[in-house]
Amino acid sequence: MVAMTAMPDVLSEFETLVSQDKPWRLVVWNDPVNLMSYVSYVFRSYFGFSPEKAEKLMLQVHHDGFCTVRSGSREAIESDVQAMHGFGLNATMTQGA
Amino acid sequence: MAKAFKNGSKGITGTLHSAERKLIRELFSDLIEMLEERARLHQLPEDIDPLYALTGMRPESMDLPPIADPALARLLPDASDDAVAAAEHRRLTEADSIAQKVGRLREAQLLLETDRLVLDKDAATRFAQALNDVRLVLAERLQIRSEEDSARVAEVLDASEVETPEEYMSLVYNLISWVLDTLMGALMDAES
Repeated sequence: MVAMTAMPDVLSEFETLVSQDKPWRLVVWNDPVNLMSYVSYVFRSYFGFSPEKAEKLMLQVHHDGFCTVRSGSREAIESDVQAMHGFGLNATMTQGA
Repeated sequence: MAKAFKNGSKGITGTLHSAERKLIRELFSDLIEMLEERARLHQLPEDIDPLYALTGMRPESMDLPPIADPALARLLPDASDDAVAAAEHRRLTEADSIAQKVGRLREAQLLLETDRLVLDKDAATRFAQALNDVRLVLAERLQIRSEEDSARVAEVLDASEVETPEEYMSLVYNLISWVLDTLMGALMDAES
């Protein structure tokens, strides 16, 4: 972790502007129905993730209850959510951290 | 009894026997009916602005009603915790999502007209999506809400011991889960 030595001097209007541009996140939620093999395959085939990365994210969903799979523009994440619903995964979009 | 899906030189192959195929096809039909009933709510009034009529887009003032059936809601979930964002996403994408799901379910129904299935990767993925949609609906009817519920349902494996409709539904759910799991194994194999 990097220690901050001074507070940045930022105008409040600027902060508002920045918060509107915060990226959107695609969150996939755990459920007791979708098979682990299925979720892992969806991550591989739809996002093009490596088998290792797909497996890691799938296990994160399974153990933590959810996982941010990726972030991006509102349009991109909207279309990801729709695709995840097409696969029957529980997914939502959310802005910021 | 069904045979596991495998990846081989001809593509992804698997076998489902007549009684299993009949049963799963009926389930595909039930889902198509549920989705098409919802699709009828999407019809725009005849006196609507021709621009909307032409594009099929819904005006902002015409959000869709919430889904009452939890099984249908599981197929078409909210895209956001934020109610306004969820309603907007639904207004813009739901008709399209329904059409895609119905298309895959119809394709899957046709595939089950023969015992032996031979699929390429894309067709196998769409078949997996259709099977998974059936699982989601059965799981909702069986009230699978936790890992414990899931374990309870997974215990029903012996057809000769099935007595109640719920046990029968559990048996069907387990059969489809097994078929899907073998299909995912074959798909993973085809991918690597």
